[in-house]
This record gives sequence, structure tokens and C-alpha cells, in this order.
Amino acid sequence: MSADQEMLALLSESIERYTSDNYDFQKRLAVLKGARSYSEQAWKDYAEFGWLALTLGEDLGGLDADTTTLGPLMEVVGHQMLMEPILSSAVIGTRLLSLLGSAAQKDQILPTLIDGSVKLAVLDPGTPRLQWLTASENRLTGTAPMVLHGDVADKFVVPAKDIDGEVQVYVVAAPDCVRKNYRLVDGRGAASVNFEGVVAQRLGSDNSGATVEAVLADVADEAVVALCGETFGIVRALVNSTADYLKVRKQFGKTLGTNQALQHRMADMYMIQQEVGALTKAARLSMNQPRADRAQIISGARAYIGRTARMVGNEAVQMHGGIGITEELGVSHYFRRLIVNAVLLGSLDHHFENFVKLTLASSNGQH
Amino acid sequence: MDDTIKSARVRAQALSTQIQEFCKSEMPPDLLDRSRRHQVLSKEDYLCWMGLLQKKNWGTAHWPAEYGGQDWSPLERFTFEDQLARLGCPWVIPFGVKYVGPVIYKYGSPEQKARFLPRIVNNEDFWAQGYSEPGAGSDLAGLRTTAVRDGDYYVVNGQKVWTTYAQWADWLFCLVRTGDSQTKAQNSISFLLIDMKCEGVTVRPIDTMDGYHHVNEVWLENVRVPVENLIGVEGQGWTYAKFLLKNERTAGATVGMVRHALDRLKRAATEHGELENSLMRNRIGEFELRFMALEQVAYQSVEAMMDGTENGGEASLIKIRSSELYQHVAEATVEALGMEGLPFDIEALHKGTEPPIGPDDAAGVLKDHFYNRAATIFGGASEIQRNIIAKAVLGL
Repeated sequence: MSADQEMLALLSESIERYTSDNYDFQKRLAVLKGARSYSEQAWKDYAEFGWLALTLGEDLGGLDADTTTLGPLMEVVGHQMLMEPILSSAVIGTRLLSLLGSAAQKDQILPTLIDGSVKLAVLDPGTPRLQWLTASENRLTGTAPMVLHGDVADKFVVPAKDIDGEVQVYVVAAPDCVRKNYRLVDGRGAASVNFEGVVAQRLGSDNSGATVEAVLADVADEAVVALCGETFGIVRALVNSTADYLKVRKQFGKTLGTNQALQHRMADMYMIQQEVGALTKAARLSMNQPRADRAQIISGARAYIGRTARMVGNEAVQMHGGIGITEELGVSHYFRRLIVNAVLLGSLDHHFENFVKLTLASSNGQH
Repeated sequence: MDDTIKSARVRAQALSTQIQEFCKSEMPPDLLDRSRRHQVLSKEDYLCWMGLLQKKNWGTAHWPAEYGGQDWSPLERFTFEDQLARLGCPWVIPFGVKYVGPVIYKYGSPEQKARFLPRIVNNEDFWAQGYSEPGAGSDLAGLRTTAVRDGDYYVVNGQKVWTTYAQWADWLFCLVRTGDSQTKAQNSISFLLIDMKCEGVTVRPIDTMDGYHHVNEVWLENVRVPVENLIGVEGQGWTYAKFLLKNERTAGATVGMVRHALDRLKRAATEHGELENSLMRNRIGEFELRFMALEQVAYQSVEAMMDGTENGGEASLIKIRSSELYQHVAEATVEALGMEGLPFDIEALHKGTEPPIGPDDAAGVLKDHFYNRAATIFGGASEIQRNIIAKAVLGL
């Protein structure tokens, strides 16, 4: 095993151990029903383990994690349905700050991200450009109807168009905004945020609009790939729990799993799981390529994984029978998380359309 | 990443380039053209094709070096099949080089190796596969052809079916029942090599809806087979058959075939202005998406094979996905051709003459569509593959 692989293996082992000891279904349920939409203790623990610094450089205690290194963490985020803003804050937000922020901004903000005292929420990078906020003289104008983890965020990271129509990224102190907090269907927290005239700090002082757009596009891709990994974690959980259930649940004097009709549907779920895993891995590896070269695989993976994961969710509920729709079992919770994941970071249809466009453009007239 | 896989990748990449070069400069253009248009190829066409591959030392490159191979890794093997199929090359007839050859070098006697292997390497014998029977298709273990020992001979009686290109074959490798009524079922299957010229061997063609002669019934009536043509130990044929099936299930060709068919569909759709039609455009997009998933699963299965992390379901998964996708693509291609897809002139498919209307490969599209309805049936039907996944991987 190479040093990288060894580190990856250690990381994923520690993540799995922690979450199975401290974040099992019952503990998560308590967070879900609690007043806050996340576990403060868990967030502190994540900070202590260094997960919140993963994407940062080694000088800051990070691991310089790329999407492949983040893979195991994101799979656990899905598998255990973690409620905390790992993707929003520790991946997307932290990445934008470290890529676009000035030295002073980084010195000021990054340590607070690493120690967990500040959580970021990011306006969804999949938001259509027309709906972006506008900025002038370091004040933002506009509203965002749904900011994931906006209810618990300390700062917002906001792409917006400045007075010249150039894209820049701003940081806003959350308490300055008018927030309406709510829970999403899967229990994660969110807020609709009114940025009307709030003071905003632009990230960096000399980033051109083109540079910022390029960074946003890269980070959006990284976020999509991370979300694919999260979804893979969910699909694996659903396939395992459904197969296990078919082995113990008896009807008509035999276990459900002895029925060929169900065996074949289970086989179809397994095939999807393998495809989701393979596409996630391919999408991760594609991050080493230039953006134009990886766009097809990333949008394709997102569309295929999003759709087929929903099918797995439907099948898992159906094969569990009545208990599949109850609160007391993970199945219905995974099912709901898949609904949210299908909307984040650009709709599945948007990614499918993008994939089709790129595919038809690139492969016409082969040989 | 493992160095073995890294270096295999480099070699596979080089092989890919060589194959593309080969198709451009060494492949007879007429043969490639007829193959791409799904025309009916003759035995001579196939012999020429297999000969070309052997001239490049590719035909048996997946064999161990001591038997004339190059010890290709699974990745090179996959790339070889995948690239040829993508480029629309003729089928690499597998019965000798891929199926019986490895059984002989793994389980055969020194005499059998010396006698058969060089002739397989050089394409001097045309082999056929005597597995399926009227009562034993997916349930192969139900086969009933018997071989009764009579001195230095086995006397074989029974009937094989779906025997591809038996009409061209010099040899048949054959699963038969041996032993007496006391022999346990799992110890009663043996693996015999039968000379097609023997008295009592009769080949009868089966007419299929694709209109050309590729499958047959093979009747075996008191065929006397010398005992030295038994592979390995009497009664252990099932072990050898399983080994052969494992080789049968390498997946490269099926993935490349889907790629080729998808490109053909896109051409048909473009020519008929169907890409402007958002329904056809979406349909093709769906196929491309499913192809991408198939391709990635296939690549990663090959690498799993190389680093020993297979879970046993890979071959079934790829077989199901590629055959089902192929059928959907073929169906859509026929639809995209519209009226021009309807004439079906089997004469033209043999002679390469112009069809009455439409592009010159329209009839080939239909033939291919018909033939590939069997793709979800042969080599373990989709239902059997799903059984395998449910039992072997999921433990149901």
C-alpha cells in the first residue's frame, strides 16, 4: 500500500469507528427531533479529528485532500446521514475561501473553520445564474429561498454579480441577515435568507471575474463529485439493509428472499449499487483533468446516480413493506435524504441535458 | 495504485493504438466494411480474419507464453476485444482460442496439448461447442447425451442444439454423461473432443428470424470416439466446463459492440433528422448515459480481477447490462431508419448487393437486431444471471 492509500485507509477507518460509536441511528434521531438541526458535540469532534481541515494544506493541519481523499468521508456522511454541514462548510465553503481569499482573510477565517467555531453555508453553486445576488460597494442585494444549513451557519459564502456584471464571491456575517429557519424534508436545517443591503466582504481584492468563475466551476464540480459519494453511501446502506431484511422476514412460511421475483429486483438494486460506485470513482478521477474534459462524466455521473438512487430508494421501501415507510427504520430516512440530494447542486435534468449536449457534440462521426 | 495495474494500463493503451492502426492499414477494407454493415460473413471471411489476428500474434495472446501466448493481463485482453468490437470488426470466433484451447492447456494430456494446441494457434481446426441440448439450455447440468465405454472407445449418443457454426466445424468439444446408474450426478459429466468427420455425426441447420445459417442441431448416433479424446478425468467434466464458462464471460466484446451500435444509431438518427426530434435525442442521451455506467463498471471489474477484489457478480452484471442495452439500441436504430428499415433481403446480405431502398446497411441493422434478441438468452439468460447475483453475491 502506498502512503496515500494507507492514510486513506486510516482516515476511513477512524470515520467509520467514530460514527458507528457516536452517531448511530438512535443518536441521529435525537438530533433530528432536537431544537438544533445538527449535533454540536459531533461538530466539535469532527474538528478535533481534523476532518474540517481535510481540504486545507498541511501547514494548517490539513491533508490537502482532493475528491478521492474525501471519498470515504462523503460515503459515511451518506451512510450515516450526518446532519452537520460537512459538504457545505468543510468542503465547498472552505475551498472557496482558500482559493479566493486574500492572505489576511485566510489568516482570519481559516483557523475558525478548522477549530469548528465557525460554520459556513454556501449559496448552492447549482443556482441558475439569473438568480444570483448582486453586489455593489460591498453590500449585497437579494434573497435566497433555500440555503442548506443556513439556519446554523455563522457566515454565508455568496457568489454574486458586481456592478460591472463580474462575478465575485462574498462573505457575510449570518447575524446581519434576516433569516427564516426551517427544516428540509430529510431533517437537515436550512434557511431562506434576505440579504437586503447587508455588508459583505469580498474574497480577495484582485481576482478577475473570469478567475472567480473558473474557481466556482471547479468547486461546483468537486461538490457534485462529493455528493455522488454521499449518494453512493446511501445506496450501499439501502441495498445492504434490504438484502438483510429479505433474509429474515418470513411470509407464507418462508423468508422473502426465497422468492425469485424479489431476488431479481434485489439483483437490479445491486447492479445499480455497482454502477453508482464505478461512476463515483470515475468522476473522482476525472477531477484531475481539465474542466472541459471532465464535464461530461461529472454531469453524467450526477444524472445517472441521482436517478438510479431514487429507484433504489423506492425499491427498498417497497421490499420492506409497511415498515419501510415508518420513522423507526432508516429506510424512510434515506428515502427522504435522496429527495433533497436530487435537488442540490443543479437538478438531475439540468445535468442530464448537459451530458446529452456534450455527448452528442463530442462523439458524432466516430471512426 | 498497484504497479501491475499501472503497467497493464500502459500496455493496454499501446495495444489500443496498434489495433486502430491495424484496422486502418492491414485489415482488408472490404471485409471491415461488410462486417460494419452486418453483412453475412462466410467461413473463408472468418478464416481470413482469424488468420490476420494470428499474424499479429493477437489471436492467442491471452494464453501463457509456453503455449504460444503472450501472458496478456485481463486488461489487455479486455482492451483487445473492446477495441475490435468498437471498430466494427468481425466476431473473434471464440470456440478454439478462447474456449477449448485454455481447457486443453490447463487440463489436457501432453499428447493432447501437442496435437491440438498448435492447430488452434494457427487456425487449422475450426471448433464448435457441444453444450446445450433440447432439454438442457440454461440448466446445462440436465444434459443427457451419453458416452458409454466400449474398449478403447466411447460410444456417444444424443443431440446437441444451438451449435454455432457446426456446419463449418472440424471438431466439437462436447459435454456428455459417463458412468453407470450408481455414479453420482455431479461425477457423471465428462468432456470429450469429437471429430466432426466421424460416422454418426449429423448437422442440421436451424432457421432463425435473422435469416442466415449460424446455429445447428448436432445429432450424435453411435459415434465412436477414441478414449484418448477424453479431457482430464472421466466424470470431472463439470469442473472443466466451469473453467471454460469463466473464460466465456470476459466482457470486452460486449461493451465495444454496444459502442459500435450506439454510433450506428446516432448516424441513422442524424441522417433522418431525428436528432432534432427531442424524444429521439433524449432516448440516445439515455443510452449514452447507460453506456457510460456500463463502461465504467466494466473497466473497474477488470481492475478488480487484476487486484483480486472481485465479488463474483461482475460478469453477470456486465452481461445483463450490455445485452439489454444493446437490444434497446438496436430496436431504436430500426425505428430511426423508418420505412428504409423494413425491406429485409437476405440475399443482399450474403452478396453485399444494394437494398431496394435506403442506405446500404439498413438490412444489416435488422439482421443484427434479430440476432441480438438472443443476446439475453445465450451464455446464461438474463434471468440466470440475476439468479447468480442474488445467490452468489447477495446470499439470497
